[in-house]
Amino acid sequence: MSLALNQSAIATAVSRLADQIFQAAGHETIDLVGIRSRGDEVAERVAAELRGKGAQVRFGVLDISLYRDDLAHLSSNPKLQSSEIDFPIDESRVILVDDVLFTGRTIRAAFDALFDYGRPRVVELAVLIDRGHRELPISPTYVGEYLQTARLDHVVVSLEKTDGKDAVEIISKQ
Amino acid sequence: MARKDFLDIVSLDREEIIHLLDQAVPFKELFTRSVKKVPALKGKTVLMLFYEPSTRTLSSFEVAAKRLSADVTIFDVPHSSVTKGESVRDTIDTLQAMRADYIVVRHQLAGQPAAIARQTGASVINAGDGAHAHPTQGLLDAFTFREVCPEMAGRKVVIMGDVLHSRVARSTSTILDKLGVEVAFCGPGSLVPRTRFKRFTNYEEAMKWGPDVVYLLRVQKERMDQSFFPSDREYHNVYGITEERLKRIAGEGIYVMHPGPINRGVELCDGVLDYERCLISRQVENGIAARMSVLYDLKPQVS
Amino acid sequence: MNLFLQGGEVATEDGAPTRADVWIVDGTIKAVGVRDAPEGTRVVDCAGKIVMPAMFDAHVHFREPGQEQKETIRDGTEAAINGGITGVVMMPNTAPSIDSATVVNRVLEIGKKCRIPVLTSGCITVGRKGVEMAPIAGMKKAGVLMLTDDGDAVPNAALLKRAMEYALEFDMFFASHCEDPQLAGPRALNEGPVSYRLGIQGTPALAEEICMDRDIRIAHATGMHLHIQHVSSAIGMETIRWWKSRGAKVTAEVAPHHLMFRDEDIGDYDTHYKMNPPLRTAEDNAALLQGLKEGVFDLIATDHAPHTEFEKSQAFVDAPNGLSGLDTALVSLYDRFICNGDFGWDLLVKRYSAEPRRMMRLEVAEVAEGKGADLLVFDPRKETTFTKEFMKSKSSNTPFLNKTLKGSVEMVVLGDEILLER
Repeated sequence: MSLALNQSAIATAVSRLADQIFQAAGHETIDLVGIRSRGDEVAERVAAELRGKGAQVRFGVLDISLYRDDLAHLSSNPKLQSSEIDFPIDESRVILVDDVLFTGRTIRAAFDALFDYGRPRVVELAVLIDRGHRELPISPTYVGEYLQTARLDHVVVSLEKTDGKDAVEIISKQ
Repeated sequence: MARKDFLDIVSLDREEIIHLLDQAVPFKELFTRSVKKVPALKGKTVLMLFYEPSTRTLSSFEVAAKRLSADVTIFDVPHSSVTKGESVRDTIDTLQAMRADYIVVRHQLAGQPAAIARQTGASVINAGDGAHAHPTQGLLDAFTFREVCPEMAGRKVVIMGDVLHSRVARSTSTILDKLGVEVAFCGPGSLVPRTRFKRFTNYEEAMKWGPDVVYLLRVQKERMDQSFFPSDREYHNVYGITEERLKRIAGEGIYVMHPGPINRGVELCDGVLDYERCLISRQVENGIAARMSVLYDLKPQVS
Repeated sequence: MNLFLQGGEVATEDGAPTRADVWIVDGTIKAVGVRDAPEGTRVVDCAGKIVMPAMFDAHVHFREPGQEQKETIRDGTEAAINGGITGVVMMPNTAPSIDSATVVNRVLEIGKKCRIPVLTSGCITVGRKGVEMAPIAGMKKAGVLMLTDDGDAVPNAALLKRAMEYALEFDMFFASHCEDPQLAGPRALNEGPVSYRLGIQGTPALAEEICMDRDIRIAHATGMHLHIQHVSSAIGMETIRWWKSRGAKVTAEVAPHHLMFRDEDIGDYDTHYKMNPPLRTAEDNAALLQGLKEGVFDLIATDHAPHTEFEKSQAFVDAPNGLSGLDTALVSLYDRFICNGDFGWDLLVKRYSAEPRRMMRLEVAEVAEGKGADLLVFDPRKETTFTKEFMKSKSSNTPFLNKTLKGSVEMVVLGDEILLER
């Protein structure tokens, strides 16, 4: 197991995301929707930095368990949590936020979940880490950090609120 | 490893129950969305096998299954008194061929859903078997109770009415007990058996015990004909929520629950339905969320 | 009112009567003891007579509502007074049956207008049909304590059990007319040599005994107090004795006619000896008397069952069951048993006055200082001839019709009223 990103590297990646999003937003309100789990914590930190820069931020959380394409193949379903999007989705520019972008299937499920809430004008994607190996044609709009990984590597993201510490570790299947 | 079947409350431990209750919360939130459906059970088949007629429970399960994007089939079973064992056997063979993923069973004989569960890889959900169990009702009752009394331990619920013949009384008392709630039974001496729970045959005594919730059971006319108690009128006067008793219940802020369908003028007077702490319609609403939670949680063993 | 009963003997539940005078002022007994008559009292000569608490009959049929040609509540209470009785419990097999608060209230209203207090039992099942439980809680509220389908047993054991479980909450008790319906036959007479001779199907004592055992078991299992009515057989008496020894909450009554008469007395189809349960054998008479003396029977009750002369003149099988007992009971018990020394006044006072009142949760009548006057004066040296005119019951269906017996009820005092004075 190797430490790919430590606490300060993560903080840097978060700031990078916040900067990119801030510049692209102009004076528009920024709508962030974090994908559980951990995408919501990343979104919280990004939202805090954006507010620090003086931006108007609306914040929501999406649980995509019900939209996964692999439910039938799991021996037990993932723990279902609430989704909370209390601002109107219709005609808004939604930025989905997740911790790791990998095959793209989670984001595909997030699209389905999001579109059951309404019809956004534009959907963008912000990820803390892009580790490559896409299986669907999905590309991120904003990236915090790029990570070189092998397909079978296991990337473990730990965040303070969810896991008690900040770290991104790679476990190689060699 | 998830369960295949949901047959009763007795076999669940406290953690599982809390998990199912917690899981019902996001399902309830879906009701406020314009798109109430989620694709979790897309492509799966849910079969309704109701040997005892029921519109409420049947439609509650139907809505729950459809909101999970499952395909729902209502299997036409004969409601007349058929040779008990045989018809179920034949049905099971048909079910195998249909390759249903989930089967929701209601039967007048206790133990039938379990018998079916043993003979099929589909996930079997007990929608009520004889006087034995009605676990999804227990779940939605616990869910509703938790909404109004979040700190459940130490709270008191008195279940009133024909406890002897009620699967709802059994499932709901069991689930509340596992959650640390104090449960008591109250009703005519001929309809309240001696169990490990406190037993009252006097309404005033039961209320002196200080319940937070009065849970009313439906009074069945068949029991009157079978001489378990005299008449509707006497039942209402001695054990029902009369207008007079409703005033005191309202004064103390006690909640009233009922699994439905209600008998106006028997176990309760009309005024109860307008009482602001009457949770009956909330129970119905929560029924769908609770059943979605169960359907989402089970894993069939179909190849 | 200022009455001085002078020279008599006062009888109580315990021991032999003792010589004492009784002074009653305005309905209360001011003094009991040997003394001179106080100034200004009305002196009643009771020398050689017995002054005792008035009787109480816990099993009477007053036929109102529905069959007032046989008896009315008013006439029934007058017959009671005539026999030295100041309290009764009516049975509910009227038409309509006393099976709801409405009918209870109606009969109690009528009772309030009579000269003695009237209580009523209530049916266990609607119409005594044995199918549906009667509104028991409602009847309790109207003043009923005893539940019985008297006239019939409750054939369905499950119903009886559930009714007992239900009624426990309301602090009532049950009374059983014990009779297995399938063994009852035409309910004409006892099965034995007499029924054979007369050529009529008899009812074996078994019919009563089986039902008695069943009812006591059900009551014992549910914790309900059960009172067995009109016990007629030796084995019946033994059954009750056995269950009492096991601590069952069971009480029982015996009727004077089952102590005195037997099936042989029917003779040539005399319907005056036709009742239900029927008269049985001399052995049964003896065993029942023994049971009374031992205390197996808690009380004596007549099962007063008036029927018109016309009805009783029907063919034996068709004639209705029962005898009119209130006018004659006390005198006949004296004549048959106290005169012979079979038992004393103390047993009579206990079993026909005190215990019945206790069972109905009333205050016991006592000839004692400070108590309300509720007493009778009995003259053992006089005789009574029970003519139709003498008897106050509307009906006169009794084996004692036109017979003369030793003893006479001379006076009955209740509160500040002299209800009877001969």
